[in-house]
Amino acid sequence: MTETYAHVDDDVRAIVEDYNLPESLRHRIYETIEDRGGVDLEQADEIAHAVSSRYEDSRVEAHDPVGTVSAQSIGEPGTQMTMNTFHYAGVAEIDVTQGLPRLIELVDARKTPDTPMMTVHLEDEYAENRERAHEVVWQMEATKILALGDISTNVADMIVQVDLNEETLAERWPTVDDIDTVAQEIAETIEDALGVDTRRSETLIEFGPDQPSYRRLLQLVEELRDIVFKGLEDISRVVIRKEENEKTDGEEFVLYTEGSAFGDVLSIEGVDATRTTSNNIHEVYRNLGVEAARETIINETMETLREQGLDDVNIRHLMLVADIMTNRGEIESIGRHGISGSKDSVLARAAFEVTVNHLLDAAVHGEEDDLDGVIENVIVGKPVSIGTGDVDLRMGSIEADGGAADVELEPSDD
Amino acid sequence: MVDVSQHELVPEHTLIDEEEVESMLTQYDVKRAELPKIKRKDPALPDEAEVGDVVKIVRDSRTTDKAVSYRLVIE
Repeated sequence: MTETYAHVDDDVRAIVEDYNLPESLRHRIYETIEDRGGVDLEQADEIAHAVSSRYEDSRVEAHDPVGTVSAQSIGEPGTQMTMNTFHYAGVAEIDVTQGLPRLIELVDARKTPDTPMMTVHLEDEYAENRERAHEVVWQMEATKILALGDISTNVADMIVQVDLNEETLAERWPTVDDIDTVAQEIAETIEDALGVDTRRSETLIEFGPDQPSYRRLLQLVEELRDIVFKGLEDISRVVIRKEENEKTDGEEFVLYTEGSAFGDVLSIEGVDATRTTSNNIHEVYRNLGVEAARETIINETMETLREQGLDDVNIRHLMLVADIMTNRGEIESIGRHGISGSKDSVLARAAFEVTVNHLLDAAVHGEEDDLDGVIENVIVGKPVSIGTGDVDLRMGSIEADGGAADVELEPSDD
Repeated sequence: MVDVSQHELVPEHTLIDEEEVESMLTQYDVKRAELPKIKRKDPALPDEAEVGDVVKIVRDSRTTDKAVSYRLVIE
Protein backbone atom coordinates (compact mmCIF):
# COMPACT_ATOMS: atom_id res chain seq x y z
CA MET A 1 0.00 0.00 0.00
CA THR A 2 1.57 3.21 -1.10
CA GLU A 3 -1.32 5.60 -1.34
CA THR A 4 -0.33 9.18 -1.63
CA TYR A 5 -1.76 11.70 0.75
CA ALA A 6 -1.96 15.29 -0.36
CA HIS A 7 -1.06 16.65 3.06
CA VAL A 8 1.54 14.08 3.99
CA ASP A 9 4.95 14.97 2.63
CA ASP A 10 8.19 13.06 2.82
CA ASP A 11 9.31 14.83 5.98
CA VAL A 12 6.19 13.84 7.89
CA ARG A 13 6.54 10.34 6.55
CA ALA A 14 10.15 10.16 7.71
CA ILE A 15 9.13 11.22 11.21
CA VAL A 16 6.32 8.70 11.46
CA GLU A 17 8.39 5.94 9.94
CA ASP A 18 11.03 6.59 12.56
CA TYR A 19 8.72 5.14 15.19
CA ASN A 20 8.46 1.40 15.32
CA LEU A 21 4.80 1.11 14.38
CA PRO A 22 2.88 -1.51 12.43
CA GLU A 23 1.80 -0.63 8.90
CA SER A 24 -1.86 -0.29 9.71
CA LEU A 25 -1.25 2.25 12.46
CA ARG A 26 1.01 4.29 10.22
CA HIS A 27 -1.74 4.50 7.65
CA ARG A 28 -4.22 5.51 10.30
CA ILE A 29 -1.90 8.35 11.28
CA TYR A 30 -1.57 9.48 7.65
CA GLU A 31 -5.32 9.36 7.22
CA THR A 32 -5.88 11.43 10.32
CA ILE A 33 -3.31 14.00 9.24
CA GLU A 34 -5.00 14.04 5.85
CA ASP A 35 -8.39 14.67 7.42
CA ARG A 36 -7.01 17.54 9.44
CA GLY A 37 -5.59 19.08 6.30
CA GLY A 38 -1.97 18.68 7.22
CA VAL A 39 0.14 19.38 10.31
CA ASP A 40 3.60 20.78 10.90
CA LEU A 41 6.54 18.57 11.68
CA GLU A 42 6.45 19.17 15.41
CA GLN A 43 2.79 18.18 15.60
CA ALA A 44 3.45 15.14 13.44
CA ASP A 45 6.13 14.03 15.84
CA GLU A 46 3.81 14.56 18.78
CA ILE A 47 1.06 12.52 17.16
CA ALA A 48 3.42 9.72 16.22
CA HIS A 49 4.90 9.74 19.69
CA ALA A 50 1.49 9.50 21.37
CA VAL A 51 0.37 6.70 19.08
CA SER A 52 3.62 4.89 19.60
CA SER A 53 3.43 5.02 23.38
CA ARG A 54 -0.18 3.78 23.36
CA TYR A 55 0.88 1.03 21.01
CA GLU A 56 3.79 0.00 23.21
CA ASP A 57 1.46 0.00 26.22
CA SER A 58 -0.99 -2.33 24.56
CA ARG A 59 1.60 -4.85 23.51
CA VAL A 60 1.89 -8.14 25.31
CA GLU A 61 4.45 -7.98 28.11
CA ALA A 62 7.37 -10.32 28.11
CA HIS A 63 6.62 -13.51 30.08
CA ASP A 64 2.88 -13.09 29.58
CA PRO A 65 1.17 -16.49 29.36
CA VAL A 66 -0.42 -15.81 25.97
CA GLY A 67 -1.34 -19.44 25.42
CA THR A 68 -3.31 -19.65 28.63
CA VAL A 69 -5.05 -16.36 27.91
CA SER A 70 -6.00 -17.59 24.44
CA ALA A 71 -7.25 -20.90 25.78
CA GLN A 72 -9.50 -19.09 28.25
CA SER A 73 -10.66 -16.58 25.70
CA ILE A 74 -11.75 -19.25 23.26
CA GLY A 75 -12.91 -21.67 25.92
CA GLU A 76 -15.35 -19.37 27.66
CA PRO A 77 -17.42 -18.47 24.57
CA GLY A 78 -17.16 -22.15 23.68
CA THR A 79 -19.38 -22.92 26.64
CA GLN A 80 -22.12 -20.83 25.07
CA MET A 81 -22.05 -22.60 21.74
CA THR A 82 -24.71 -24.94 20.52
CA MET A 83 -24.22 -28.62 20.79
CA ASN A 84 -26.37 -28.85 17.69
CA THR A 85 -24.37 -30.34 14.89
CA PHE A 86 -26.53 -29.49 11.92
CA HIS A 87 -27.99 -26.33 10.68
CA TYR A 88 -28.87 -25.11 7.24
CA ALA A 89 -26.49 -22.23 6.95
CA GLY A 90 -27.44 -18.96 5.35
CA VAL A 91 -25.26 -19.81 2.40
CA ALA A 92 -27.23 -22.03 0.06
CA GLU A 93 -29.15 -25.03 1.28
CA ILE A 94 -26.10 -26.96 2.33
CA ASP A 95 -25.63 -28.77 5.60
CA VAL A 96 -22.62 -27.62 7.51
CA THR A 97 -21.40 -28.68 10.91
CA GLN A 98 -21.34 -25.70 13.20
CA GLY A 99 -20.85 -24.64 16.74
CA LEU A 100 -18.82 -26.62 19.21
CA PRO A 101 -18.51 -29.79 17.11
CA ARG A 102 -16.97 -27.79 14.29
CA LEU A 103 -14.56 -25.98 16.60
CA ILE A 104 -13.46 -29.29 18.10
CA GLU A 105 -13.06 -30.75 14.64
CA LEU A 106 -10.79 -27.87 13.66
CA VAL A 107 -8.47 -27.92 16.66
CA ASP A 108 -8.37 -31.71 16.52
CA ALA A 109 -7.29 -31.36 12.86
CA ARG A 110 -9.53 -34.23 11.74
CA LYS A 111 -8.48 -35.76 8.45
CA THR A 112 -11.88 -35.06 6.92
CA PRO A 113 -14.48 -32.72 8.36
CA ASP A 114 -17.93 -34.04 9.13
CA THR A 115 -19.43 -31.98 6.36
CA PRO A 116 -16.79 -31.10 3.81
CA MET A 117 -17.74 -28.26 1.51
CA MET A 118 -16.15 -25.91 -0.98
CA THR A 119 -16.86 -22.41 -2.15
CA VAL A 120 -16.00 -22.37 -5.83
CA HIS A 121 -15.55 -19.06 -7.59
CA LEU A 122 -15.65 -18.90 -11.36
CA GLU A 123 -13.70 -17.02 -13.97
CA ASP A 124 -14.83 -14.57 -16.61
CA GLU A 125 -17.85 -15.68 -18.61
CA TYR A 126 -18.35 -18.74 -16.41
CA ALA A 127 -19.13 -16.39 -13.55
CA GLU A 128 -21.58 -14.28 -15.54
CA ASN A 129 -23.46 -16.78 -17.61
CA ARG A 130 -25.66 -19.33 -15.89
CA GLU A 131 -25.29 -21.83 -18.74
CA ARG A 132 -21.50 -21.69 -18.59
CA ALA A 133 -21.61 -21.96 -14.80
CA HIS A 134 -23.67 -25.10 -15.22
CA GLU A 135 -20.97 -26.61 -17.41
CA VAL A 136 -18.63 -26.39 -14.43
CA VAL A 137 -21.29 -27.83 -12.16
CA TRP A 138 -21.64 -30.93 -14.34
CA GLN A 139 -17.90 -31.41 -14.31
CA MET A 140 -17.89 -31.37 -10.53
CA GLU A 141 -21.08 -33.00 -9.34
CA ALA A 142 -20.90 -36.78 -9.23
CA THR A 143 -23.45 -38.06 -11.72
CA LYS A 144 -24.85 -41.46 -10.95
CA ILE A 145 -27.11 -43.63 -13.02
CA LEU A 146 -30.28 -42.63 -11.19
CA ALA A 147 -29.82 -39.06 -12.39
CA LEU A 148 -29.48 -40.16 -16.00
CA GLY A 149 -32.32 -42.55 -16.55
CA ASP A 150 -34.50 -45.35 -15.21
CA ILE A 151 -33.28 -48.76 -14.16
CA SER A 152 -35.50 -51.77 -14.41
CA THR A 153 -34.69 -55.35 -13.52
CA ASN A 154 -36.13 -58.10 -15.61
CA VAL A 155 -35.98 -61.19 -13.43
CA ALA A 156 -37.40 -63.55 -16.05
CA ASP A 157 -34.66 -62.78 -18.60
CA MET A 158 -32.03 -62.04 -15.96
CA ILE A 159 -31.21 -58.61 -17.38
CA VAL A 160 -30.88 -55.09 -16.09
CA GLN A 161 -32.24 -52.40 -18.37
CA VAL A 162 -31.16 -48.80 -18.24
CA ASP A 163 -33.31 -46.38 -20.13
CA LEU A 164 -31.34 -43.17 -20.48
CA ASN A 165 -33.11 -39.86 -20.61
CA GLU A 166 -32.01 -37.99 -23.75
CA GLU A 167 -32.70 -34.57 -22.32
CA THR A 168 -30.62 -35.19 -19.24
CA LEU A 169 -27.74 -36.47 -21.35
CA ALA A 170 -27.84 -33.40 -23.57
CA GLU A 171 -27.92 -31.19 -20.52
CA ARG A 172 -25.09 -32.88 -18.64
CA TRP A 173 -22.79 -33.35 -21.62
CA PRO A 174 -23.22 -29.92 -23.19
CA THR A 175 -19.99 -30.20 -25.12
CA VAL A 176 -20.92 -33.43 -26.91
CA ASP A 177 -23.41 -32.97 -29.72
CA ASP A 178 -24.25 -36.55 -30.42
CA ILE A 179 -26.38 -38.34 -27.81
CA ASP A 180 -25.29 -41.68 -29.28
CA THR A 181 -21.67 -41.00 -28.36
CA VAL A 182 -22.66 -40.23 -24.79
CA ALA A 183 -24.78 -43.37 -24.51
CA GLN A 184 -21.88 -45.42 -25.88
CA GLU A 185 -19.56 -43.84 -23.34
CA ILE A 186 -21.96 -44.73 -20.54
CA ALA A 187 -22.27 -48.30 -21.78
CA GLU A 188 -18.48 -48.61 -21.78
CA THR A 189 -18.22 -47.19 -18.30
CA ILE A 190 -20.69 -49.82 -17.12
CA GLU A 191 -18.72 -52.59 -18.86
CA ASP A 192 -15.46 -51.46 -17.27
CA ALA A 193 -16.89 -51.01 -13.81
CA LEU A 194 -19.01 -54.14 -13.56
CA GLY A 195 -17.12 -56.48 -15.86
CA VAL A 196 -20.19 -57.41 -17.91
CA ASP A 197 -21.07 -57.20 -21.60
CA THR A 198 -23.69 -54.66 -22.55
CA ARG A 199 -26.07 -54.42 -25.48
CA ARG A 200 -27.22 -51.02 -26.56
CA SER A 201 -29.88 -49.76 -28.90
CA GLU A 202 -30.22 -45.99 -28.96
CA THR A 203 -30.47 -44.94 -25.33
CA LEU A 204 -31.45 -48.34 -23.96
CA ILE A 205 -28.65 -50.30 -22.36
CA GLU A 206 -29.10 -53.92 -21.28
CA PHE A 207 -26.84 -56.29 -19.45
CA GLY A 208 -27.02 -59.30 -17.17
CA PRO A 209 -24.86 -61.70 -15.16
CA ASP A 210 -22.76 -64.31 -17.04
CA GLN A 211 -24.52 -67.15 -15.28
CA PRO A 212 -28.22 -66.85 -14.45
CA SER A 213 -28.14 -65.90 -10.77
CA TYR A 214 -30.74 -63.90 -8.94
CA ARG A 215 -28.30 -62.82 -6.29
CA ARG A 216 -25.72 -61.65 -8.83
CA LEU A 217 -28.41 -59.73 -10.71
CA LEU A 218 -29.38 -57.72 -7.65
CA GLN A 219 -25.75 -57.19 -6.83
CA LEU A 220 -25.18 -55.71 -10.30
CA VAL A 221 -28.01 -53.25 -9.78
CA GLU A 222 -26.51 -52.20 -6.45
CA GLU A 223 -23.09 -51.69 -7.98
CA LEU A 224 -24.58 -49.85 -10.94
CA ARG A 225 -26.06 -47.26 -8.61
CA ASP A 226 -22.61 -46.42 -7.22
CA ILE A 227 -20.83 -45.82 -10.52
CA VAL A 228 -19.82 -42.22 -11.11
CA PHE A 229 -20.37 -41.43 -14.79
CA LYS A 230 -19.33 -37.87 -14.69
CA GLY A 231 -17.91 -35.44 -12.17
CA LEU A 232 -15.95 -36.04 -8.99
CA GLU A 233 -16.86 -38.87 -6.69
CA ASP A 234 -16.49 -36.79 -3.52
CA ILE A 235 -18.86 -34.06 -4.59
CA SER A 236 -22.41 -35.15 -4.08
CA ARG A 237 -24.23 -31.90 -4.71
CA VAL A 238 -23.55 -28.46 -6.10
CA VAL A 239 -25.64 -25.37 -5.50
CA ILE A 240 -25.37 -22.29 -7.68
CA ARG A 241 -25.92 -18.89 -6.15
CA LYS A 242 -25.75 -15.44 -7.57
CA GLU A 243 -23.70 -13.19 -5.35
CA GLU A 244 -22.21 -9.78 -5.33
CA ASN A 245 -18.61 -9.57 -6.29
CA GLU A 246 -16.81 -7.28 -3.90
CA LYS A 247 -13.96 -6.53 -6.26
CA THR A 248 -15.84 -5.66 -9.41
CA ASP A 249 -19.06 -4.46 -7.78
CA GLY A 250 -20.94 -6.69 -10.18
CA GLU A 251 -22.75 -9.96 -9.70
CA GLU A 252 -21.30 -13.38 -10.23
CA PHE A 253 -22.29 -17.00 -9.89
CA VAL A 254 -20.68 -18.84 -7.02
CA LEU A 255 -20.88 -22.60 -6.54
CA TYR A 256 -21.23 -24.29 -3.15
CA THR A 257 -20.48 -27.97 -3.03
CA GLU A 258 -21.42 -30.69 -0.65
CA GLY A 259 -18.25 -32.74 -0.38
CA SER A 260 -14.78 -31.57 -1.18
CA ALA A 261 -12.15 -32.40 -3.80
CA PHE A 262 -10.08 -29.27 -3.70
CA GLY A 263 -7.12 -30.34 -5.84
CA ASP A 264 -9.29 -31.69 -8.65
CA VAL A 265 -11.57 -28.70 -8.68
CA LEU A 266 -8.76 -26.15 -8.90
CA SER A 267 -7.70 -27.49 -12.27
CA ILE A 268 -11.18 -27.56 -13.82
CA GLU A 269 -11.59 -25.13 -16.70
CA GLY A 270 -13.58 -22.09 -15.64
CA VAL A 271 -12.80 -22.38 -11.92
CA ASP A 272 -11.08 -19.36 -10.45
CA ALA A 273 -8.09 -21.02 -8.79
CA THR A 274 -7.21 -17.86 -6.90
CA ARG A 275 -10.35 -17.55 -4.79
CA THR A 276 -11.81 -21.04 -4.49
CA THR A 277 -11.63 -22.45 -0.97
CA SER A 278 -12.41 -25.62 0.93
CA ASN A 279 -13.32 -26.10 4.58
CA ASN A 280 -11.07 -29.15 4.72
CA ILE A 281 -7.82 -27.81 6.16
CA HIS A 282 -5.85 -30.88 5.10
CA GLU A 283 -6.87 -30.50 1.48
CA VAL A 284 -5.86 -26.87 1.58
CA TYR A 285 -2.55 -27.89 3.16
CA ARG A 286 -1.88 -30.50 0.46
CA ASN A 287 -2.70 -28.19 -2.42
CA LEU A 288 -1.68 -24.75 -1.28
CA GLY A 289 0.81 -25.36 1.50
CA VAL A 290 1.15 -24.69 5.16
CA GLU A 291 0.62 -20.92 5.05
CA ALA A 292 -2.73 -21.29 3.29
CA ALA A 293 -3.69 -23.95 5.83
CA ARG A 294 -2.88 -21.51 8.62
CA GLU A 295 -5.05 -18.90 6.96
CA THR A 296 -7.89 -21.39 6.55
CA ILE A 297 -7.73 -22.40 10.21
CA ILE A 298 -8.10 -18.76 11.24
CA ASN A 299 -10.93 -18.17 8.78
CA GLU A 300 -12.82 -21.29 9.75
CA THR A 301 -12.52 -20.85 13.51
CA MET A 302 -13.49 -17.18 13.25
CA GLU A 303 -16.44 -18.04 11.01
CA THR A 304 -17.59 -20.75 13.42
CA LEU A 305 -17.55 -18.31 16.33
CA ARG A 306 -19.17 -15.57 14.25
CA GLU A 307 -22.05 -17.84 13.24
CA GLN A 308 -22.80 -18.27 16.92
CA GLY A 309 -22.64 -14.56 17.60
CA LEU A 310 -19.38 -14.92 19.49
CA ASP A 311 -17.25 -12.80 17.24
CA ASP A 312 -15.98 -10.63 20.06
CA VAL A 313 -13.23 -13.19 20.52
CA ASN A 314 -10.09 -11.37 19.48
CA ILE A 315 -8.66 -12.67 16.26
CA ARG A 316 -5.18 -12.79 17.81
CA HIS A 317 -6.19 -15.77 19.92
CA LEU A 318 -7.23 -17.67 16.83
CA MET A 319 -4.07 -16.60 15.05
CA LEU A 320 -2.05 -18.00 17.93
CA VAL A 321 -3.89 -21.31 17.68
CA ALA A 322 -3.29 -21.45 13.92
CA ASP A 323 0.37 -20.51 14.37
CA ILE A 324 0.94 -23.30 16.85
CA MET A 325 -0.94 -25.84 14.75
CA THR A 326 1.21 -25.09 11.69
CA ASN A 327 4.48 -24.36 13.47
CA ARG A 328 6.21 -27.55 12.37
CA GLY A 329 5.41 -27.16 8.71
CA GLU A 330 2.40 -29.43 8.78
CA ILE A 331 -0.96 -29.42 10.51
CA GLU A 332 -0.86 -30.76 14.03
CA SER A 333 -3.82 -31.16 16.32
CA ILE A 334 -3.91 -29.45 19.70
CA GLY A 335 -4.82 -32.52 21.71
CA ARG A 336 -3.04 -35.49 23.19
CA HIS A 337 -1.97 -36.80 19.78
CA GLY A 338 -0.58 -33.46 18.70
CA ILE A 339 0.83 -30.46 20.49
CA SER A 340 -0.04 -31.35 24.08
CA GLY A 341 1.23 -34.89 23.59
CA SER A 342 4.60 -33.80 22.28
CA LYS A 343 5.57 -31.57 25.16
CA ASP A 344 8.97 -32.21 26.67
CA SER A 345 7.79 -32.43 30.23
CA VAL A 346 6.42 -35.70 31.58
CA LEU A 347 4.32 -33.97 34.21
CA ALA A 348 2.82 -31.54 31.69
CA ARG A 349 1.74 -34.42 29.47
CA ALA A 350 0.42 -36.42 32.39
CA ALA A 351 -1.60 -33.45 33.58
CA PHE A 352 -3.40 -33.23 30.23
CA GLU A 353 -4.93 -36.62 29.50
CA VAL A 354 -4.38 -40.32 30.28
CA THR A 355 -2.24 -39.52 33.29
CA VAL A 356 -1.31 -43.05 34.28
CA ASN A 357 -0.09 -44.08 30.82
CA HIS A 358 2.24 -41.12 30.61
CA LEU A 359 3.66 -41.66 34.07
CA LEU A 360 4.10 -45.35 33.46
CA ASP A 361 5.84 -44.83 30.11
CA ALA A 362 8.06 -42.18 31.62
CA ALA A 363 8.99 -44.47 34.47
CA VAL A 364 9.75 -47.35 32.10
CA HIS A 365 12.01 -45.16 29.97
CA GLY A 366 13.58 -43.38 32.91
CA GLU A 367 12.56 -39.92 31.68
CA GLU A 368 13.59 -36.80 33.51
CA ASP A 369 11.62 -33.60 33.98
CA ASP A 370 13.52 -30.32 34.12
CA LEU A 371 10.56 -28.46 35.62
CA ASP A 372 10.90 -25.61 33.15
CA GLY A 373 7.27 -25.23 32.19
CA VAL A 374 4.23 -23.87 33.97
CA ILE A 375 2.22 -27.02 34.62
CA GLU A 376 5.13 -28.92 36.13
CA ASN A 377 5.80 -26.14 38.60
CA VAL A 378 2.16 -25.87 39.60
CA ILE A 379 2.25 -29.59 40.34
CA VAL A 380 5.39 -29.43 42.46
CA GLY A 381 4.32 -26.16 44.08
CA LYS A 382 7.08 -23.87 42.89
CA PRO A 383 6.84 -20.43 41.26
CA VAL A 384 5.90 -20.77 37.61
CA SER A 385 8.05 -19.23 34.95
CA ILE A 386 5.58 -16.62 33.76
CA GLY A 387 5.22 -12.97 34.58
CA THR A 388 7.23 -11.94 37.64
CA GLY A 389 7.81 -15.61 38.36
CA ASP A 390 10.31 -15.67 35.54
CA VAL A 391 12.53 -12.91 36.87
CA ASP A 392 15.50 -13.79 39.01
CA LEU A 393 16.61 -11.15 41.46
CA ARG A 394 19.95 -11.04 43.11
CA MET A 395 20.80 -8.85 46.04
CA GLY A 396 24.08 -6.97 46.17
CA SER A 397 25.33 -4.33 48.52
CA ILE A 398 25.64 -0.75 47.43
CA GLU A 399 29.06 0.72 48.05
CA ALA A 400 29.51 4.04 49.75
CA ASP A 401 30.24 5.90 46.53
CA GLY A 402 26.84 4.91 45.16
CA GLY A 403 28.18 2.48 42.54
CA ALA A 404 27.04 -1.10 42.36
CA ALA A 405 28.97 -3.59 44.42
CA ASP A 406 31.45 -5.71 42.62
CA VAL A 407 29.21 -8.72 42.25
CA GLU A 408 29.30 -11.00 39.29
CA LEU A 409 25.77 -11.12 37.87
CA GLU A 410 25.10 -14.14 35.79
CA PRO A 411 22.48 -13.54 33.16
CA SER A 412 19.50 -15.78 33.61
CA ASP A 413 19.28 -18.22 30.76
CA ASP A 414 15.56 -17.95 30.28
CA MET B 1 -1.01 -27.17 -13.29
CA VAL B 2 -2.49 -24.52 -11.06
CA ASP B 3 -0.23 -21.66 -10.02
CA VAL B 4 -0.44 -21.96 -6.25
CA SER B 5 1.19 -18.62 -5.54
CA GLN B 6 -1.69 -16.80 -7.22
CA HIS B 7 -4.22 -18.06 -4.68
CA GLU B 8 -5.40 -15.41 -2.28
CA LEU B 9 -4.77 -17.69 0.72
CA VAL B 10 -1.12 -18.06 -0.21
CA PRO B 11 1.12 -15.22 0.95
CA GLU B 12 4.31 -14.31 -0.82
CA HIS B 13 7.21 -16.67 -0.09
CA THR B 14 10.70 -15.46 -0.92
CA LEU B 15 14.04 -17.10 -0.26
CA ILE B 16 16.40 -14.85 1.61
CA ASP B 17 20.18 -14.93 1.52
CA GLU B 18 22.47 -15.90 4.36
CA GLU B 19 23.26 -12.32 5.28
CA GLU B 20 19.60 -11.44 5.75
CA VAL B 21 19.05 -14.65 7.73
CA GLU B 22 21.82 -13.73 10.13
CA SER B 23 20.58 -10.19 10.71
CA MET B 24 17.03 -11.48 11.23
CA LEU B 25 18.21 -14.11 13.72
CA THR B 26 20.14 -11.46 15.64
CA GLN B 27 17.21 -9.07 15.56
CA TYR B 28 14.83 -11.60 17.09
CA ASP B 29 17.53 -13.28 19.18
CA VAL B 30 16.58 -16.77 18.08
CA LYS B 31 18.42 -19.76 16.71
CA ARG B 32 17.77 -21.02 13.22
CA ALA B 33 16.24 -24.25 14.51
CA GLU B 34 13.75 -22.31 16.62
CA LEU B 35 12.06 -20.76 13.59
CA PRO B 36 8.72 -22.11 12.45
CA LYS B 37 9.19 -24.77 9.78
CA ILE B 38 8.02 -25.36 6.24
CA LYS B 39 8.33 -28.68 4.42
CA ARG B 40 10.59 -28.94 1.41
CA LYS B 41 7.68 -30.33 -0.63
CA ASP B 42 5.28 -27.56 0.38
CA PRO B 43 3.41 -26.46 -2.76
CA ALA B 44 3.86 -22.76 -2.01
CA LEU B 45 7.63 -22.97 -1.61
CA PRO B 46 9.80 -21.57 -4.44
CA ASP B 47 11.27 -24.45 -6.46
CA GLU B 48 14.87 -23.60 -5.75
CA ALA B 49 14.45 -23.74 -1.97
CA GLU B 50 16.61 -26.34 -0.26
CA VAL B 51 16.62 -27.85 3.19
CA GLY B 52 18.23 -25.40 5.60
CA ASP B 53 17.16 -22.31 3.67
CA VAL B 54 14.95 -19.67 5.26
CA VAL B 55 11.92 -18.22 3.49
CA LYS B 56 10.49 -14.84 4.25
CA ILE B 57 6.72 -14.78 4.24
CA VAL B 58 4.84 -11.53 3.89
CA ARG B 59 1.25 -12.05 4.95
CA ASP B 60 -1.72 -9.81 4.57
CA SER B 61 -2.42 -9.50 8.23
CA ARG B 62 -5.71 -8.81 9.92
CA THR B 63 -4.11 -6.85 12.71
CA THR B 64 -1.50 -4.96 10.75
CA ASP B 65 -1.51 -4.52 6.99
CA LYS B 66 1.55 -6.61 6.31
CA ALA B 67 3.10 -9.08 8.69
CA VAL B 68 6.51 -10.57 8.05
CA SER B 69 7.26 -14.06 9.19
CA TYR B 70 10.05 -16.56 8.55
CA ARG B 71 10.08 -20.30 8.11
CA LEU B 72 12.98 -22.72 7.97
CA VAL B 73 12.85 -25.25 5.15
CA ILE B 74 12.98 -28.81 6.49
CA GLU B 75 12.87 -32.31 4.99
